[in-house]
Amino acid sequence: MTNALLTVENLSVRFPVKRRWGQTSWLYAVDDVSFEIKRGETLAIVGESGSGKTTAALGVARLVGNSGGFVNLDGEDFLALEGGALRRARAKVQVIFQDPYSSLNPRLRAEAIVREPMDSLGTLPRAERPDRVAELFKQVGLRPEQMKLFPHQFSGGQRQRIGIARALSTNPELIICDEAVSALDVAVQAQILNLLRRLQRDLGLTYLFISHDLGVVQHMSDHIAVMYMGKIVEYADRLSLFNDPRHPYTKALLSAVPSVDKKRKVERMLIPGDPPDPLNPPSGCRFASRCPLVEDACLAAQPPLKAVNGSHRAACIKA
Amino acid sequence: MTETLLKVENLRIELDLRSGPAPVIDDLSLELKAGETLSFVGESGCGKSMTALAIMGLLPEKVGSIAAGRILFQGADMALMKDADLRDIRGNEISMIFQEPMTSLNPVYTVGEQIAEVLRRHKGMNHADAWKRATELMDAVRIPNAKARVADYPHQMSGGQRQRVMIAIALACAPKILIADEPTTALDVTVQAQIFDLLRDLGRETGTAIILISHDMGVVAEMADRMVVMYAGRKAEEGPVDEVISHPRHPYTKGLISCVPHLLAELTEDRPDLTEVPGIVPSLDSFGTDACLFASRCLLADDRCRSKRPPEMSFGLQTSACWKADTL
Amino acid sequence: MTQVDEIPAKPRSPFSEAFEMFRRNHAAVVGLIVLLAIIIVAIVGPMVYPGDPFDMVWIPFSPPGTEGYFLGTDYLGRDLLSLLIHGAKVSLTVGLSAAFVTVTIGITVGALAGFYRGWVEEVLMRLTEFFQVLPTLLFSMVIVSLFGTSLWMITLAIGLVSWPAVARITRAEFMRIRELEYVTAARAGGVKNARLIFSVILPNALPPIIVQAALMVGSAILFEAGLSFLGLTDPNVASWGQIIGSNREYILDASFTVTVPGLAIFVTVLAISLVGDGLNDALNPKLRQR
Repeated sequence: MTNALLTVENLSVRFPVKRRWGQTSWLYAVDDVSFEIKRGETLAIVGESGSGKTTAALGVARLVGNSGGFVNLDGEDFLALEGGALRRARAKVQVIFQDPYSSLNPRLRAEAIVREPMDSLGTLPRAERPDRVAELFKQVGLRPEQMKLFPHQFSGGQRQRIGIARALSTNPELIICDEAVSALDVAVQAQILNLLRRLQRDLGLTYLFISHDLGVVQHMSDHIAVMYMGKIVEYADRLSLFNDPRHPYTKALLSAVPSVDKKRKVERMLIPGDPPDPLNPPSGCRFASRCPLVEDACLAAQPPLKAVNGSHRAACIKA
Repeated sequence: MTETLLKVENLRIELDLRSGPAPVIDDLSLELKAGETLSFVGESGCGKSMTALAIMGLLPEKVGSIAAGRILFQGADMALMKDADLRDIRGNEISMIFQEPMTSLNPVYTVGEQIAEVLRRHKGMNHADAWKRATELMDAVRIPNAKARVADYPHQMSGGQRQRVMIAIALACAPKILIADEPTTALDVTVQAQIFDLLRDLGRETGTAIILISHDMGVVAEMADRMVVMYAGRKAEEGPVDEVISHPRHPYTKGLISCVPHLLAELTEDRPDLTEVPGIVPSLDSFGTDACLFASRCLLADDRCRSKRPPEMSFGLQTSACWKADTL
Repeated sequence: MTQVDEIPAKPRSPFSEAFEMFRRNHAAVVGLIVLLAIIIVAIVGPMVYPGDPFDMVWIPFSPPGTEGYFLGTDYLGRDLLSLLIHGAKVSLTVGLSAAFVTVTIGITVGALAGFYRGWVEEVLMRLTEFFQVLPTLLFSMVIVSLFGTSLWMITLAIGLVSWPAVARITRAEFMRIRELEYVTAARAGGVKNARLIFSVILPNALPPIIVQAALMVGSAILFEAGLSFLGLTDPNVASWGQIIGSNREYILDASFTVTVPGLAIFVTVLAISLVGDGLNDALNPKLRQR
């Protein structure tokens, strides 16, 4: 496809794990994952803790672990970049983080935080930077007199706005929202979600949206990838995934979400136990040990992610 | 009419600030009946955990104190009880589970010892009986292979299993009331579902009343019979869950429900912006004022809201502390 | 979009908040005043108080008060007050310089180990452990006896045996802070490694290091006193430790010649400890809430 901003093929992100006797083995937090995002759209990656959703996103941006595979961002081979070229390319992909407390340097004033990427990347002539900072503050709903304050003088929601302004400061092509609203109270969460959607409309932003909250994902995304133990198990557009989930893990996930909608009475699908040890993943389907539909064929080989209905893909032989 | 287990009357808890005492709980009254599940809902800082700690008699001494009102457990005023009697109630008749299953277990004892310890203290069981009962309880909270896992240390268990152990400890003495303070916030959604199923089933079997503290309306809708919506230390609205959710009588409740993107029975292409509750919770200095504390964020607020605290008004089983409740 | 929350009257920097916390710790304020007084004496004293401290001015072991010699004289008949005033400068200089050496080596080693991890950390931490297990007094005695007893060599020796503690603290702070999201954010913003280390992480890692450095000044003064007591010192300068060391044989006959400089060391180190303690509270964000 030609209009994809980000194409990720066979991405693996691994971390070294120290073993006894000085041996090192590798933990594959993300294992052979492929997806793409079109310009101006939102792809959400959902999954539970340990699924590798955050690592996949930060691995694309070369911010964690060792990335292998192929990542094409806006026509550039992102994984091949090194040194200064990588540093300059970072302007194209920015991150909004989960924790509004640890994501801002407590020693810097709000304006310096927002300015930092511009200063280190030199994306704008020095003289124009103050005006740009003021403009960014306005865009995210902060007042100009708040530019001089320190992070601890802001509420959680306001801090998240500063984080958003910082992410916007380099005019990035892609913004990774890493659980950007999960640390916020529900009322503030709504303010930030609306802000993110408005910015996307106004500035034509592309989001890679990481979340464990299926309600939020349903509201924000155009396409969704469901991850389990470092692999994408299902990939579909929004309506198709929520109205017609195919993978048993997705079904279990959706059935577990409590809702105020009385009409939404899905049969609870229980998945007992815990995911297997990520250092020794099973050779067959990684979900097999908890799957209610498991049969011998599931244990034999890993099911590939294959189309079940148009662009809707699932990695299950029974999908 | 079932028995009223717990009655909170005009409770006021004050926090000592440098600028003077501020009421973090202000004139709160509620009742809990045997076997029912009551939920406290609100944003962080609204006082829901503080109320729970007060009921447990566990208010951190230096932080807050009960300035007025009473907490009656089966008709007895807990403020007048001796420490020894209170200790007898805590963990025995009223017990509590917390948000963070990682830190609420002692890492140097096996989970079995920690369950057995409660039984020995409150029930006077001997070692062997307590250990046997601990194994049964682990089984009851659906930890697979309980006989072997009972000798595990907390770090050998997953977060969900640790929360099950916490529940086993809390239910060891068959308490009349179980207070669950955001018990699944730190857990994954599939584990959350299992924990709630477990709590619901155990509650039904043992007749234990549950106070569930949560910020998630979806959880409340699925778990609770009645709910109390709290805002800035005051009760905003109270009533049966179905009625409150289908017809909220307080603009704050309305906001809490509509600002969250819920999963719906049938998803459509249509995605309007979420309803915003603008601003944030007011600062503690303004907590005691004679006004509606939600007025600064309320789109319906007028001069009366800003100058006079609204009284509680009843609508059948529902009550609301809003001047405009009858028009909502 | 309406924002109802008020903003504070004036932007308060973390520094001004720390100062406020420090001010509320009375013991620390007293310590600071005493310390400032000692520093002023050390700087201004030699100019105001006349005479070379090594001049033999009167009969040895004259008790305090004799003939206008306020603190008396030592075993060579030298004016104790003059020795004390000149010694203040020497002892404080040694204390501060040794602390500076300690912090410089400690931060460099700790920061590189904590930031780069991997083999850099392995090498640097083995080096740190090597210096940590050396018997400190013995090692510094060896350095001083090999390379001479100049004040600079003594300062260097003290610094060389003291930096491992600072390196460990720095490394631990760097390892903690480098995982925080604002550091990842800075990396995403293209900030270079050198800037990450010195402008992003180091300022946030400083509080415990500053406290350690303050306490280091006190222990360096004590350390120098110890070396002087053993005679390993520059005979041409009058440090407090040197006064004690040279008079130690006469402690029973003329105890004031030892107790007076001893008291000076005690008061100075105590003042520095109080200030260090105050800094610890003031720079600890956990204690700053409400």
